[in-house]
Amino acid sequence: MNNRIIVILSFIFILLLSACKSEQPEYNNRIVIGIPADVKTFNPLFALSVNEGAISELIFLSLIDFRWNDELGEVEAFPSLAESWDWAEDKSSITFKLRSDVLWSDSTSFTAADVVFSLDVYSDPEVQSRLYGIFEDFYTDEQNHINVEKTFIIKSDYELQINFKPGSSPDLFDVVHPVIPKHIYEKYERKDLGTAEANFSPVSNSPFILKKWDRNQTITFGVNKKSFLYDENSVDELVFKIIPDYTSRLTQLKMNEIDFMELISAEDVLELSEMENMIIKTIEGREYDYIGWNNIDPELFSTSGGVTPNKFFGESEIRIALTYAINRKEILEEYLYNYGTLATTPVSPIFTYFVNPELEKYNYDPDKARSILSKHGWSDSNNDGVIDKNGTEFKFTLTYPGGNPLRSYASTLLKNNLKFVGIDVSLETMEMGTFIEKLLSKSMDAWMAAWYIPIPIELKAFWYSDLYNTQMNFVSYQNSAADKIMNDLLKEQSRESKRKLYFEFQKIIHEDQPMTFMYWKSNIIGINKRVVQKTISPLGAITHCWEWTVNR
Amino acid sequence: MNKVFIKSLSKRIVTSIITLFLLVSFLFVLTRLSPGDPTQKYLSAEFSPELKEKVTASFKLDQPIFNQYINFVANIFKGNFGISYGYRQPVLSVVWQFLSFTLVFATLSFLLQIIVSSFLAFKSIRNKGKLFDRSVLNISLIVYAIPAFVLGLSLIYIFSIQLDLFPSSGLRSLDFESNSFFGKIGDYIYHLSLPLITLSLAGIALFYKYLRESLEDVYQQNFILNLKASGYDQSTILKKHVLPNAVRPLLSIAGIELGILLGGALITEVIFSLPGMGRLMMDSIFARDYPLVIGCALTAGVLMIASNFLADMIKMKLDKRLIKGLIN
Repeated sequence: MNNRIIVILSFIFILLLSACKSEQPEYNNRIVIGIPADVKTFNPLFALSVNEGAISELIFLSLIDFRWNDELGEVEAFPSLAESWDWAEDKSSITFKLRSDVLWSDSTSFTAADVVFSLDVYSDPEVQSRLYGIFEDFYTDEQNHINVEKTFIIKSDYELQINFKPGSSPDLFDVVHPVIPKHIYEKYERKDLGTAEANFSPVSNSPFILKKWDRNQTITFGVNKKSFLYDENSVDELVFKIIPDYTSRLTQLKMNEIDFMELISAEDVLELSEMENMIIKTIEGREYDYIGWNNIDPELFSTSGGVTPNKFFGESEIRIALTYAINRKEILEEYLYNYGTLATTPVSPIFTYFVNPELEKYNYDPDKARSILSKHGWSDSNNDGVIDKNGTEFKFTLTYPGGNPLRSYASTLLKNNLKFVGIDVSLETMEMGTFIEKLLSKSMDAWMAAWYIPIPIELKAFWYSDLYNTQMNFVSYQNSAADKIMNDLLKEQSRESKRKLYFEFQKIIHEDQPMTFMYWKSNIIGINKRVVQKTISPLGAITHCWEWTVNR
Repeated sequence: MNKVFIKSLSKRIVTSIITLFLLVSFLFVLTRLSPGDPTQKYLSAEFSPELKEKVTASFKLDQPIFNQYINFVANIFKGNFGISYGYRQPVLSVVWQFLSFTLVFATLSFLLQIIVSSFLAFKSIRNKGKLFDRSVLNISLIVYAIPAFVLGLSLIYIFSIQLDLFPSSGLRSLDFESNSFFGKIGDYIYHLSLPLITLSLAGIALFYKYLRESLEDVYQQNFILNLKASGYDQSTILKKHVLPNAVRPLLSIAGIELGILLGGALITEVIFSLPGMGRLMMDSIFARDYPLVIGCALTAGVLMIASNFLADMIKMKLDKRLIKGLIN
């Protein structure tokens, strides 16, 4: 009897629980985006992660609205907080005419003072904003802090002139950063801006206002009807749902609990694309995998700072041979299901106008690899299956960060590929923090990693020969001709001349092959069909998402 | 008795404080010596190298470890555990944001474990050797052997994907605020049912095993036979004689289990997207957020000591002879 009662009660309990399920209205103009981690701030000054950057830019607009032009293969500038802008003929200054109808979400008017204040705090060493140290074209003090008096001329509340240092070559990207409200942040000491309460309850100037932040659960934005960008047909509520586990995120996408998810594994695409409620889109050309060959001897560099060619990877022809020996296409087809393209240089294929189309792809050709290696004296003299030269066997360790199945697959394939040409590779996985430390100390021989590339094209941060100041030149690549091009590119204004320089740079990098460029991976995005998107671009999956809406 | 109690209690508090101090000191050194550093996230093509230097200096990571340690200890005695590098908020404030959920979630899970396992153990012992007893014994072994992530994902597959009875993750519905008070309670139950089952099943199996064996042992003692022969009824024997003796080994293990639960349930939190201490601790380790790592470890340490102390107090209540040994 007792047992029966327990069973019945349990059954009723489960029914009651399932009845607790909230009733979903038939139509709601709300879009739910699944993201893997919560933001730690909404202040664009301190937005370090990709998600923080994307979300803070949704609530703090910039003077100019950058949009991607597929045909041109580059960004185009459109008015945003600024109605128009004029460069001085010699590019020594730029004058912005600001919109006069922009209100902060607390109804305070947006003015030129907000722009000046924002650039001032971005460059203030006490603040330690993410943009500190990049204002090289501005008048700055010895601490790289913008000299406000020399730099800004506020002609009126809605007209601002920005002056640049003589001899500098500024562009719009130097000036255009999210603008924060002066009347809110001037109340804080500069050194306390990072911990300011306002960072967690932002006063915005965009169509979105923060409605609720349920830490590590959801971030909910409502619409700001006073915004000049407000459109009554657009989304009413935007929710970022934090779901750290990939499988859980995918499950929620399939079950309509979230509407949008990025970075879907290629192997899950088939199942998703067969679902009635799902559309799949991709963003191409923002991230490529590579095999880093340390161009210099790691031991000598870490002990004395000396630079000598690496005993295995010091010569460009050897590195080319290694690229020939790796079957990149197989990984692309078998693991990435062709969601990506083979990479040739660090210039992404999305920059169509600047990509040098004449470069050979170094397709898989183990015979050619063997022949180059043999030409350089690497042969299997003792018939042990491993090629050697002057008593040194060609064997090294390839390190990669753990937790990424693609890298595990690719590294195993690479090991087998290189074994086929007589090179013995040991594989080692490493925790990401430790891996980065090894990269910075240049203490690894070879590794597999990825680069997420900035827009517009940035080369100097990765490829400049100054090994101490170019921290991200992990492979320790050095080429004075490439350096000259990178310096010239910073000064060059004409699109056609830039194109020539980019072509030349790619040719040099291609011939030097400082690393093996594996493939550009697609960012696969699953979107519920109820969401109507007007924009999705390489600038980011959710940029301009105030233009999205929901199908009735 | 009171004097002995106060002396022993004071001794235990002092040893606990020393233990915690050693724990944070050890962690301080370990975090500084382990590879990686918190300024790695300032490494980007879009950031200048000077920013990384500025941040390193502001975190005082450019100072010798000994100086850092002296500053750290001086601040601890002022009750200042520093500012989290990532959250840019005081460490204790960040910990509290996550601890509040963990306290509720762990306590609920613990109570569920105790109640269900006790129910099953008593029922088993009453039906010793019968089908129910044998079935529960075997099932408990299987349940204990299933890893939490397998259990969690299986529950999601069955109850969320196939039956659509429960949500697959999250703590609240998006329309939570529009619910009535009871609606909100219902919403929490609706969201926390699967995570609680995932977190509790292994504990239920463990407690059941301990309690059942303990009950069996006590029932086999001669004094129980004497009591039965003297005509005491079953209920009195159980409440006054069997339970106090049988529950002691369970209390020791329960104290440890509660401490572990309060330290965070990483796998359950990740699978069900819950904002608990386990995730906070793990994220702070990967981000090399040193002050937060130490804050989390200290909180987990305090809770572990407190839960063990609580278990000892209950044991002492059941048997006053244990007072000195337990408190010490």
